[in-house]
Amino acid sequence: MIELKGVSFAYVKEDVIKDVNLLLGPGVTAIIGPNGSGKTTLLKLAAGIYRPRVGEVLIDGINPWSVPETVKTSIRRNVVYIHEEPIMLRGSVADNVAYGLRIRKLPADEVVIRTEEVLEVLGIKHLAHEKAQTLSAGQKQRVALARALAVRPKNLLLDEPTANLDRCGRETLMELVKDLVRKGVCIAIATHDRLLAFKLTDRVVFVENKTAIFVEGSGGRWLI
Amino acid sequence: MWQELTDIVVRSLLISGMATVLATSWGIPITMILTVKESKFRRALLDVANTLVAIPTVLIGLLLYLLFSRSGPLGFFGILYTPTSIALGEAILITPLIISLSASVLRETKTDIWEMAISIGATERQALVVMVTESLPKLLTAVLLGFNRAIGELGVALILGGNIKGLTRVMTTAIALEVSKGEFELALTLGGILLFVTFLVTVIVRKVGRDL
Ligand SMILES: Nc1ncnc2c1ncn2[C@@H]1O[C@H](COP(=O)(O)OP(=O)(O)O)[C@@H](O)[C@H]1O
Ligand SMILES: [Mg+2]
Repeated sequence: MIELKGVSFAYVKEDVIKDVNLLLGPGVTAIIGPNGSGKTTLLKLAAGIYRPRVGEVLIDGINPWSVPETVKTSIRRNVVYIHEEPIMLRGSVADNVAYGLRIRKLPADEVVIRTEEVLEVLGIKHLAHEKAQTLSAGQKQRVALARALAVRPKNLLLDEPTANLDRCGRETLMELVKDLVRKGVCIAIATHDRLLAFKLTDRVVFVENKTAIFVEGSGGRWLI
Repeated sequence: MWQELTDIVVRSLLISGMATVLATSWGIPITMILTVKESKFRRALLDVANTLVAIPTVLIGLLLYLLFSRSGPLGFFGILYTPTSIALGEAILITPLIISLSASVLRETKTDIWEMAISIGATERQALVVMVTESLPKLLTAVLLGFNRAIGELGVALILGGNIKGLTRVMTTAIALEVSKGEFELALTLGGILLFVTFLVTVIVRKVGRDL
């Protein structure tokens, strides 16, 4: 669960996000708004990547910016943000998926087991030894998802996850999201994909004019 | 003759290599810290660096000469007219170039690799490490260009080194000497060797960079 309380943020001088209050709770929250409205910025703030200019971000109740460095990392580990254009490291797909596990210093055999597991779930086992950076956008998306799932985060923030997926990929993603929700993961999805939002969401955040309007209840009602 | 030539080539490589190591060891960490901290000084440093890329080598040579000469403030080191002083001068000369080139490489990795690493649970230290390892091939190119500038420059080597035979004579100062003596053919040959050596280094570094 992630809460933003009175959050404002500026890249340069002018606020891009202004006094936003919202709750990314259990189930799926859709974040909707035109290009450049601040969806990505909002998610990066929620992930503890950006520091709010004013206000606070609470990740499972704790503000990562008000605690010592070591605690900050362990707070951040409860949430994973996936970039709109997934970022691949130079190694193989398996290396990429294992990265989050390696930095947590998990035992080598567990790293292997968990990596295989999520590669299987996302149907990219056959790509395990390919170079990640040469994959197609859709395949990278799956690798990024696998990398995130491997560390079993309690909160998952997806930035336009369907932008590069075909219909089949989209179906898989929806199933995956439903499954994660059943397991109690809080998911936020910034998306243009109204169907996705309609089918999945428990609440909607409309982002416009630097601020966010927070609406509890199925997304569909608000979109048609 | 051949012995002397080999000496000069090896000395050039060593001095410029030393200069490159020095410039890298301070240029890249500074750039990295300012980039990761999103510091306001990053922009300022970059403006200064981009300006200093154009500094004439003789000017750096002259400034350091005044610093290191017997009566200068750092004269007590007694390093004027030694290979060390050339390496130091060239290191200062190529620092702006290395900063300027690595800044853009690191900026890119900051917004993607660093963010991704932090988000998947890296400590800030682990994120720094992956930022460097991921940009290694490109950083290597920045460093290589620094080396190539160092090995090809004349002003610093001439003023700080003094072109002393067997001690501070490097390829560029040797060329300058032959030109001044009117030995154009020898000067051209030396020039050809300089370019060939630089080309070899470039190719080797590229091959190494690919396997990193
Ligand atoms: N790194 C950045 N530096 C400066 N401005 C930025 C940066 N990233 C985004 N912005 C600006 O912030 C605003 C919100 O961007 P973003 O959060 O990416 O919107 P969205 O994801 O909804 O398209 C835009 O006006 C964009 O130009
Ligand atoms: Mg965006």
